[in-house]
Amino acid sequence: MQFLSRLPRWLKVVGMLSLIVVVLLGYIGWDRFLRAYPAQAFDDPDERFKYGSIGAEQDAGIPYWIFYVLPRVFPDKLPGPGGYAAFGVTWEQGRELPIGFTKRRIGFDRVANNCAVCHTASYRTEHYSNPVLVPTGPNHTLDLEAFFRFLVDCAKDPRFNADTMMPEINLAADLDWIDRLAYRYLIIPITRKRLIEREAQFQWIYRHDFPEWGRGRDDAMNLTKYFMIRWPMDDSFGPTDMPSVWNLQKYSEERGNRMNFAGDSHNAYSVIIDSALGLMGAEPKDREDFLAHIDWLHHYLTTKPAPTYPFAIDQAKAGQGKQVFAAHCAGCHASERTGTVVPLAEIGTDRERMDTWNAKAAAEANQVVEEMGIERKGLVEEPLTGYVAQYLDGIWLRAPYLHNGSVPTLYDLLLPPAQRPERFHRGYDVYDPVKVGYLTSGSEAVHAGTLHDTSARANSAQGHDFASQLSDDQRWSLVEYLKTL
Amino acid sequence: MKNNNTSASRRNGCRILVWTALILVVSIALILTQRFLRDEPVVYNDPVEHFKYGSTGGERNLGFPYWIWRVLPEVCADYLPGDGFASVGMIYEPGRDLPVGMSKRRHMGMDRVFLNCAVCHSSTVRASADAEPTLVVGMGANSLDLMAFQKFMGRCVADRRFTPNQIIPRIQAAGADLDLLDRLVVYPLAVHLMRDGVTGLLGRMRFIHFQPDWGPGRVDTFNSAKALFNFPIEDLRSDELLGAADFPTIWNQAKKQGMQLHWDGNNDRVEERNLNASFGTGATPRLIDHSSIARIQAWNATATPPAFSEFFPIDQAMAGRGKVIYGEYCADCHGASGRDFSGSHVGQVVPLGQIGTDPYRLHSFTPQLAVNLGTPYAGSEYRFKRFRKTHGYANAPMDGLWLRAPYLHNGSVPTMWDLLQPRSARPQTFWRGNDRYDQVALGFVSDLAEEGGRSFFLYDTAVPGNGNMGHEGARYGTELSDADKWALIEYLKTF
Repeated sequence: MQFLSRLPRWLKVVGMLSLIVVVLLGYIGWDRFLRAYPAQAFDDPDERFKYGSIGAEQDAGIPYWIFYVLPRVFPDKLPGPGGYAAFGVTWEQGRELPIGFTKRRIGFDRVANNCAVCHTASYRTEHYSNPVLVPTGPNHTLDLEAFFRFLVDCAKDPRFNADTMMPEINLAADLDWIDRLAYRYLIIPITRKRLIEREAQFQWIYRHDFPEWGRGRDDAMNLTKYFMIRWPMDDSFGPTDMPSVWNLQKYSEERGNRMNFAGDSHNAYSVIIDSALGLMGAEPKDREDFLAHIDWLHHYLTTKPAPTYPFAIDQAKAGQGKQVFAAHCAGCHASERTGTVVPLAEIGTDRERMDTWNAKAAAEANQVVEEMGIERKGLVEEPLTGYVAQYLDGIWLRAPYLHNGSVPTLYDLLLPPAQRPERFHRGYDVYDPVKVGYLTSGSEAVHAGTLHDTSARANSAQGHDFASQLSDDQRWSLVEYLKTL
Repeated sequence: MKNNNTSASRRNGCRILVWTALILVVSIALILTQRFLRDEPVVYNDPVEHFKYGSTGGERNLGFPYWIWRVLPEVCADYLPGDGFASVGMIYEPGRDLPVGMSKRRHMGMDRVFLNCAVCHSSTVRASADAEPTLVVGMGANSLDLMAFQKFMGRCVADRRFTPNQIIPRIQAAGADLDLLDRLVVYPLAVHLMRDGVTGLLGRMRFIHFQPDWGPGRVDTFNSAKALFNFPIEDLRSDELLGAADFPTIWNQAKKQGMQLHWDGNNDRVEERNLNASFGTGATPRLIDHSSIARIQAWNATATPPAFSEFFPIDQAMAGRGKVIYGEYCADCHGASGRDFSGSHVGQVVPLGQIGTDPYRLHSFTPQLAVNLGTPYAGSEYRFKRFRKTHGYANAPMDGLWLRAPYLHNGSVPTMWDLLQPRSARPQTFWRGNDRYDQVALGFVSDLAEEGGRSFFLYDTAVPGNGNMGHEGARYGTELSDADKWALIEYLKTF
């Protein structure tokens, strides 16, 4: 104190002023960069599933206004006109963000994803009509691979700088001068750096010797392998159809049911945690909060019923189909065997998905999650041997069929493998109530969709050859019955 | 002591010098601040004057320097169809230096001007060939060729004549009192900034170069929206690339709240529709003057069209017979009268298959655009929430019907008489842009290529997007007897 009082007066004044400035800057820094605001709460469960934050904004979040202007600054990097709609996200009219995109302010507004981005289905009854959106259904229109590449490619482009992006942001936003400075000098450069950092792990989606995933597919286990356990790139490739995630209570651990297409996971709780961690991009900051989201999702997804078929059903024909089903399908799809792994030799479908994952990877991934202090039964630490016999609830909305989405409609699936379509377009959402699936040919389907070529790697439509001996009448009646599931 | 005195006087001298310099710097800063940081629009107390000449805030975005705007028609005279901006259909009231629909603001040390709402929503009417034109605010700008205006601006700023050396002497010759700073810094810089601004904007709006001429009285609203989002125009499909439609009237907005607005009924909120239209005046979320927009909205909530009877007589007995026909054929979709918009289908969308009118405008509003239109004004209470993709055209109420000609959304049918004919009897080509009224057929004179030194636009219904089909058949009145049609038209004059 003696020392302080002996200081010259001007120094004291300057010192006080500096202190005030430091405190002020500290407050502004905390307020504009770190201060976590609560995420928007939703009373309606479907709304929460579609738009509720699971906490991914913290590490995987993209600053809101960068997210907002990316399609405007880089329209050349989109799969087509339409901003984010070009990726085939499901997007309700009048909403600020597509389904599965969440917004939360942590210092500044950030955008991240939740489960609904891949798990909301969209179908139209005719071309000139608005889509019906079904939460927990498979998003068969989303070109996820293109979306991943878009973010990295934008960041690598020389236009990803403040001089180019700020004018576009200022066209759309009314930011104060602190936010404008923050965006210009910190948020834009840091976002660029962090997006580019993802490139190394995304190496395999840039390979020219692999076909495109196409709309509605996701190379999920490779994502886990390269992001969660950070293995170096191998030569495996196994994109699968986005699955429906309704009615998960049907999976019974007691009966030996396994989850994921190749039976890689023990139970729904584990699958939800692992998928959510993929969206988080890092260990959750607040574990309790994270697990509370998981518990809610688990309850929602286990009890959410599959949607019923919205078009007319010929009940008489369906009745005949039920007989065919009992004789030819129920053994796997409505029995003790349902939900368990069928050996590859028996099912005969494309093996590539199976080969993207193994027991060692499972052990390592389980280790990573355990180290986060999260308890779950987790991934199956055993060699994979085949694919899970599916429960068929809501099967009408799960086209294209087979784990790799290689067969456009149920009718096609009942044909001998050699007669199934070799090339078709997936991602057009006009429904085909005749063959049960989506329309996959015609100029609109070609325009909206991506080509699936069954001769390309991991795309084979072979296997599941269990209806070859049926007559066409039997097939049609079976298709009619399947509408009722 | 002497030394001390010297150093003291030296110190004094220093002090004076420092203070003088400081005062000088502060004064200059104040003067420059006053000169360059002022941001004030010209304000009008009368709501109609405000609508015609008031600011929406947009001049700060792309506002043209007033004096450059003034001399531009001289600089690039050969790029205009005639004298001045009047030759692309802008309206100058007597004694006014700016056209109707242009506002002025002091900004960045100069006066800047830009278009406001009235440029597209005002026009003139003449009752006969030698009558003086009457300005009608709130009707569609039937004479304004907005595409020609855009192309003129684009060509002129890209022209080798668009340089400070060519422009500044013309500004001085036009009577501007430019000081040294204006001549050496402000206007040379303004020329370059204007070139950048106009080129950038019209680069985004380049879709107009892939379209047939709109002609006067029309605009492509939703391809402009795609330009706002910077959709890659070159990748758009041909069926969504043409969306030219007539400028609408904007009276009686309070009664239209909740109706499906825009030609295809894609939004049912007046405020959102207005904010969306305001983008055309340069008013972005950051710059828009909400109180100014509120004044316009307060005015056009109850503004009414001028009555036909102020210009021409109406045969009341005949109109009385027409009213019965109207009630039977038209009222459900178009409202009980020109003031009473009640009716079971008013303001609702009729599917395209039923109405049968030209599909291009409808398809130009794509599902992708619809969802993207949930994002403007994000982060504020004004965010758009009501845009929806529809699959037909909306039944509009018909206040001021006589001034809404040419008819149908794309302005493809010149008069009401023609609209009451089946497509085969409607004119395949006609001239648009004349403000002389044809009180018999109910529409603007459309059979003259030019009149009084002004030439008009040949509208060809065979051009894609210009089709005059639809709104025909028994239920649309095209099979009525001629006597009934004339009676109906007489009644429609009362709207």
